[in-house]
Amino acid sequence: MGDSRLRVGLYLSGTVVGLVLLLGVIAPFVPYDPADAVDYDQLLQAPGMGHIFGTDGQGRDVAMRLLKGTEAFFLPGLMAAALATVFGALCGAVSGYAGGWLRGGVLGTMQLIDTLPRLVFIILVCTILNPSIYLIAFVAAVLFVPSIATVIRRRVEALGSEDYILAHVAHGFRPVRILLYHILWLQCRPLLIRQATYVFGYVLFVEVALSYLGDYGVQEPDPSWGNMVAQARGLRGVSAWPWAVPAVAIVVTIAGFLAFGNLLARADEEEVR
Amino acid sequence: MSRAARLAIAALRRAAGGLLLLVGATFVIYITIRSAPGDAIDAISPMGTPPDVKARLMEEFGLDRDPFTGYIAWLMRSLFGDFGESLVFSPGAPVMEVVLPAFGRTLLLSASALVACLILAILAALLLGEPSRRQQLLTGPLYVATAAPSFVVAVVFVQFVNWGIKAFLVEGGYVPPSWYPLEMYTESLVPYVFAGLTLIAGDGLFMDFFNSVRADLNALRNAQFIAAVKAKGARTLGHIARNMVMPLLSGYAARLPIVLGGVVIVEYVFTLDGGGYVLLEAARERDFPVVVGLSVLFTATIIAVNLLTDIIRALVDPREVAHGG
Repeated sequence: MGDSRLRVGLYLSGTVVGLVLLLGVIAPFVPYDPADAVDYDQLLQAPGMGHIFGTDGQGRDVAMRLLKGTEAFFLPGLMAAALATVFGALCGAVSGYAGGWLRGGVLGTMQLIDTLPRLVFIILVCTILNPSIYLIAFVAAVLFVPSIATVIRRRVEALGSEDYILAHVAHGFRPVRILLYHILWLQCRPLLIRQATYVFGYVLFVEVALSYLGDYGVQEPDPSWGNMVAQARGLRGVSAWPWAVPAVAIVVTIAGFLAFGNLLARADEEEVR
Repeated sequence: MSRAARLAIAALRRAAGGLLLLVGATFVIYITIRSAPGDAIDAISPMGTPPDVKARLMEEFGLDRDPFTGYIAWLMRSLFGDFGESLVFSPGAPVMEVVLPAFGRTLLLSASALVACLILAILAALLLGEPSRRQQLLTGPLYVATAAPSFVVAVVFVQFVNWGIKAFLVEGGYVPPSWYPLEMYTESLVPYVFAGLTLIAGDGLFMDFFNSVRADLNALRNAQFIAAVKAKGARTLGHIARNMVMPLLSGYAARLPIVLGGVVIVEYVFTLDGGGYVLLEAARERDFPVVVGLSVLFTATIIAVNLLTDIIRALVDPREVAHGG
C-alpha cells in the first residue's frame, strides 16, 4: 500500500472519528425536549433548508435526533474502550512476561471469558439485571479483554527476547517499569489504539442493536440511532429518510473507527520497517 | 509411541480442556444468575408467576442453596440436557424440546453462511492475486460497506429487496427440494438465503476473511519451499492447499462467535424461527429457563467448534502433536 493512500485513508477515517467525538462532546449541551420536537405539520419531510436530514413520522428533525442520539453510546463507548484497553494490556503483559502459575491463571481466565458468546451473554445479563448502558458497556469491555490481551501477549513475547529489552534487564530496571513503559507504552501504543477503536465500535453496535430491538436500549421518545433505524418497520415504502440517515451514520461511524485503528497500526508498522 | 496413539492422547487432552472450559463458562453464567439484585427468584420469573412454579424454579436453579452446591446441582441437571420447562414462550414444554430445533436452524444458517463466505473469499483472493493500487478503488468502498453491522444490512435487505424477490419466487410457484430441513419457511427459502447473505456481507466478515486469505495465499505463493517444489517440476496446488488449511481453520474458528452474535439479530429482523429469534423473544417475555438453556447451547457450540478445529489441526500438522501439544 502506497504511503499517500495510507495518508488519505487516515485523513478520511480520522475525519469521521473527529466528527463523532465532536458531536459526542457537544450533544449533552444542546437542549432537546423530544415531546416539544413533535410537529404534525411537518411529517416525513424530505431533506431541505429547515431540516437538513428531513423529519420523521412525528415531524421531529432527524438531524437533531442524530446529534442527541450520540449521547446513548458516546460516554459508555469511551469508558468501555478505556477499561478494555487498560485491562487487556495488563493481562497481556503479565501473561507474556511472567511465567508459572500467574501466566497459567491469566491465560485460563482469558480463555474462559473468550468462550462466552458476546451478544448472547449481554442479552442474558440484560434479562437478569435490567441494566443501564453503562453496565452493558462494562460487560462488553470485560468480554473484549481476552482478544486485546492475546494481541499484546504476542507482542510482549516477541519483544521479551529482543536484545535491547535484555539490556534493560541487565541494567537493573524494575520489571514493572520495563513492562509498562518500555514495552507497553513505547511499543504497543498503535496496537492498543486499534483495539480501543474496536471496542468503541462494538459498544456502538450493542447499543444500537439493543435500542433497535427495543427492550433494553433507549426507549422512545428519547433518540438513539438504533431506535431511529427501528422506525423502518413502520415506514415501509413510505419514506426512507428517517431510518436511512441513522443507518448510514452507524455504518460510517463503525467503518471509520475500525479503519482509523487499522491504518494507524499499519502506518506504525511501515515506519518501523 | 506411534503417531496414532500420540494423536489420541492429544485429542483426549484437548477434550478434557474443553470440558473444563464448559464447566467454567457455565459457572460464569450461573454466577450471573445469582448476581440478580434482591430476590433472585423475582428477577428471573415473569410477573404473576404462581408460587408453585416459583418454588420449582428455585429448586431447578438451586437458588435455595449456597451458590456452590446450587451450581453443582444445576450443572448435573443441565449436563443431561434438562434445563427445566419453558414458562411463557411455550408453557410447560421442556426447554430442550423448544430450543433444539430452533438452534439447529441457527447452526445450519451460520455454518452455511461461513462456508459460503469462505468459498467467496478464496475465489476472490485467487482472482485478485497481489494487492494493487487499482484494486483499492474496489476494495476500499467494499471495506466500508461490509463494516456495517449485519442487522443494519438486514434492515436494508428487508426494506428493499426481500419483499420483491419473495413475491416473485412464491408467486412463481417455487417449490424447495424435499431434503430442505427448514420447515417453517419451506414455502420460501428466500429469507434464509438473504439472512445468509446478510451474515456474509455484515460485520466485516467477508472483507476480514478475504484480506487474511489473500495475505496467506500470497505469502505462500512467494514462499521458498513453493519455489523449490516448482523447481522440481511438481505441482504446487497440493502443497499450497495443505498449508492453507491451518490459517483457514483458525480464521474460521475465530469468526464463529462473531457470526453467532450477528445471527441472533439477523434472525430477529427476518423473523426466522431460529435460536436467536427464540432467545430474544424469550428474553422479552422473561422466559428465563429458555434464555439460560440457549446461552449454554451457544457457549457449548463455541467450545465444541474450537475443540474440533484443534483436533483437525493436529491431524493436518504433525508438529502440533510432536511437541506434546
